[in-house]
Amino acid sequence: MKTLNMTLLAAVLLLTAVLVSGQTQDQRLQLSSLDHLAAKAIETVDVNIDGRLMRMASKLLSDEGDEKEVKSLIAGIKGIYVKRFEFESDGQYTSADIEGIRSQLRGPSWTRLMNFTSKKDGNLEVYLLMNGEQVGGLAVLSADDRELTVVNIVGPVDIEKLAKLEGQLGVPDLGIEVKKEKKNDDK
Amino acid sequence: MKTIRLAALVLALVVPVAAIHPKGDDFNSVVKLIEQFYGVKHEGIPFLAKAGMKVGTTAARIKGGTARRIAEAGSIKLAVFENQEFNREFSQFRTSLNTALTATWTPLIQTISDGGETQTYIFLREASAKFNVLVITIDQRDATVVQVTLSPKNLALLLKDPEGTGKSITEEATIIDQE
Repeated sequence: MKTLNMTLLAAVLLLTAVLVSGQTQDQRLQLSSLDHLAAKAIETVDVNIDGRLMRMASKLLSDEGDEKEVKSLIAGIKGIYVKRFEFESDGQYTSADIEGIRSQLRGPSWTRLMNFTSKKDGNLEVYLLMNGEQVGGLAVLSADDRELTVVNIVGPVDIEKLAKLEGQLGVPDLGIEVKKEKKNDDK
Repeated sequence: MKTIRLAALVLALVVPVAAIHPKGDDFNSVVKLIEQFYGVKHEGIPFLAKAGMKVGTTAARIKGGTARRIAEAGSIKLAVFENQEFNREFSQFRTSLNTALTATWTPLIQTISDGGETQTYIFLREASAKFNVLVITIDQRDATVVQVTLSPKNLALLLKDPEGTGKSITEEATIIDQE
């Protein structure tokens, strides 16, 4: 009976692990379809800060100075993945390349955010992944004639935190400006 | 016959990668990988091997007193490839490098610039209460492989600005070498 209970417990733990890992997998976008663009690009940046590294850093960083700043930036984040390609001429990537990413963002959990602008030219799309009431991740798709950038942050992160992350931890400067809520002055 | 040929082809493709898969010392394996892939030879740095990195402000002094020491004293491993031919083939090299290291190291950032003329790879791994960082830079004619140990304080710098700090780590190692 004891053996049976242990086996049952092991099975439940295994199932939980599989489900949790499956969920993280969903939050993380598959970006490898863009890898072929590296051969055409004049500059390619590939950032892979995974959960393992985040856990190591959180454990060892202290609560002072730069360490505190980075620790608070990465708090709760399970991964930061970036792919950025810069091209010498127009038309080096196709709509099919972008579609490969957008199709993943059409899932029911992903919502496109509109309450921001970008100081930079081109098309910038920001998506938030919701797990019920909780934010489970964020994705940014930035495209102009000669540049294509995809940022995927796994974990609880909002657009304000994204703006703080810009230029740090491998997240490029996207020029994001959060729109302020309009106050009602009609008094 | 066709099957034998196919098996031979698969073996020929797999064996070179398997032969350079790191066993123990990843730094030396990476150096060997570069040598085998690009057909180049690294230069030994006996000065560094014997002396290690000095505690103090050597790098800061050379840089005019403004530079900040990043690597922990005595922690630098450095291999330099100078004035040799590195072709622009980076795709297969990157795959081989990642395959070789990802079991023990976590990739942080990888950049390819100028259509493959410059490649930079930064990997991290935990080392007790500190971190090992491996920075591999390959240009058209030169390459460096640097492994250093970082304190959590400097890990924070690396995470904040991976490209800039990675570059500083390589500069720091090679500036000490030039002294």
